[in-house]
Amino acid sequence: MFDFLIHGFEVALSPMNLGLAFLGALLGTLFGALPGIGPINGIAILMPLAYTLGLPAESALILLAGVYTGAEYGGRMSSILLNVPGDAGAVMTTLDGHPLAKKGLAGPALGLSAVSSFVGATIAIIGLTLFAPLLAQVAVMFGPAEFFALMVFAFSSMAVMMGKDPIKTGIGAVLGVLIAMVGVDSGTGVMRYTFGMAELYDGIDFVVMIIGLFAISEILLMLEHANRQDAGDTMPPLGRVMVSLKELLHCKWTMLRSGVIGFIVGVLPGTGASVAGAVTYTTEKRLSDKDNTFGTGDMRGLAAPEAGNNASAAGSFVPMLTLGIPGSGTTAVLLGALMLYNITPGPMLFSERPEVAGGLIASLYIGNIVLLALNLPLAGVFAKVLTIPRWVLVPAIAILAFVGVYQLHSDLMAIYLMLIIGIFGYALRKLGFSLAPVILGYVLGGLMEDNLRRALSISGGDAGILWQSGISIGLWIAAVLLLVLPWLVPKLLSRKTPVHA
Amino acid sequence: MRLAADRILGLALIGLAAFAAFNASQFQVTFSYEPVGPKAFPMLLSALLAGLSLVLVFRPGENGEWPDKRTTLKLVAVLLVLLAYALLFTRLGFLITTFLTVLSLARLFEASWAKALLGGILMAVGSYYLFTLGLGIALPGGHWLPDFN
Repeated sequence: MFDFLIHGFEVALSPMNLGLAFLGALLGTLFGALPGIGPINGIAILMPLAYTLGLPAESALILLAGVYTGAEYGGRMSSILLNVPGDAGAVMTTLDGHPLAKKGLAGPALGLSAVSSFVGATIAIIGLTLFAPLLAQVAVMFGPAEFFALMVFAFSSMAVMMGKDPIKTGIGAVLGVLIAMVGVDSGTGVMRYTFGMAELYDGIDFVVMIIGLFAISEILLMLEHANRQDAGDTMPPLGRVMVSLKELLHCKWTMLRSGVIGFIVGVLPGTGASVAGAVTYTTEKRLSDKDNTFGTGDMRGLAAPEAGNNASAAGSFVPMLTLGIPGSGTTAVLLGALMLYNITPGPMLFSERPEVAGGLIASLYIGNIVLLALNLPLAGVFAKVLTIPRWVLVPAIAILAFVGVYQLHSDLMAIYLMLIIGIFGYALRKLGFSLAPVILGYVLGGLMEDNLRRALSISGGDAGILWQSGISIGLWIAAVLLLVLPWLVPKLLSRKTPVHA
Repeated sequence: MRLAADRILGLALIGLAAFAAFNASQFQVTFSYEPVGPKAFPMLLSALLAGLSLVLVFRPGENGEWPDKRTTLKLVAVLLVLLAYALLFTRLGFLITTFLTVLSLARLFEASWAKALLGGILMAVGSYYLFTLGLGIALPGGHWLPDFN
């Protein structure tokens, strides 16, 4: 049953893949540490390059997954040192991480966060190894109707968990699906939303879409924050990056609990590191904050979200690899990267492309150790990255974005489209949208329509097929409950408790 | 002001939904094996989008803060620089356009002239060699320059 893992280690331990895992971890940590560039941006920028280098699918995936997990490690740097989350997953890390740094404990805080990231990720990678093949076996029984129901469930869990505003999450996802409709319909050859432009016949290219949406909009956002003082002035002294055994043991249950919770959150489709950070932090606060020290620089308040967000990163590979449903915005981008290689992840991936599934999982084990080894001694070096001024960073992102898109298409139209999508992404972010639902909608949109149409053609147009099997009924009920409960439960509770109590 | 932004957005999105639905209704499907053709799904999405946007009109959510006038002008300037980069990319070649783009972006992000000039030269030349020699990517040399790579 674990043949795939043995085979995977053979793949991952080849010198090139080992080097790529190392490179990915290193670049990922840098991208995570750089203000404004999170895992998605890092992958968006590197993906066209990985593709151009002609790397085989499993190698490209190993590189990009290394960037993903590395960025979750790196995101903590600016959270702890500058009180500015490096990416969405590191928001909760600021709450206790920065107070620790202000107390002069920046070094131990960085050390502890590296270890708890490692523990969280390890728990989740083991979980991934155990659960993914099981889930794949269940998923083999899925037909188009079940997949359609699963995607509806994914979108509703995303609407509830992601972002502050479920309506906007929903709108973002629908917009993403609509963008996926552009191009020639594969079933009938009908042109949809191409407006007669030949460049749009193949649809809006995945690379153009994510570089525009994330990298270009980030450039525009950075301009607004440019007025903030430069990092160099406010950086607290690091000291030695060391964490004592006593401190680690103090946090052991926090790390273990948060690792498990983070893994579960990661597996849930549509929810990513930011949700994992929030859930683990609040859980730990409720369980262990007896003296109200959380938020003032409690070690456990730092260990919880760090273990949680790294665990969710590994956990989000479970639905992506077994069902083809990304667990987070970043895995949605990785899914798109696989599709560039004509690999559609799903239940058959483990049997048909064991080198991809196994190689990726094995590389996560390796990458995780590399990350710990890099992050303990080199934290000081990575922290220096924070002092890179924006006037260097922004042109660098622009060059990488332009070259990345240009060399894929050698076509200026793609670059214009990238800029238009960038403005669109900027506007969405200013209007309080999160971009992850948009990218999930865009990646899943085509699959969702395919499955719906396939299901209905099996039944001859009878929509009843969508809720005929036990699996799909269960998924529909789960989807509806997810949407209704958060709205219903407070109302029921407030009815029971009198207002003046 | 915040609320108004979401109301306008909601109305604009309803307009988009109507446009998408109308467009879908115009798709010419000559023959299809499937009971549900390429029209149904976009129509369904348009209805969903219109419904969600209607909620937004009646119950607007929170927006981020909008940039002030000076920042807005700079945003437009950054976009113009990027547009010029795209327009001139193949005509003037990678080296020159990248130099000019880095220079102007660095200035817009408040670097001094000296730093911006130095950054422009270093980043243009450095990235040129990284991409062409390191990664084997063909970059435009520009129409007025003989290709020297």
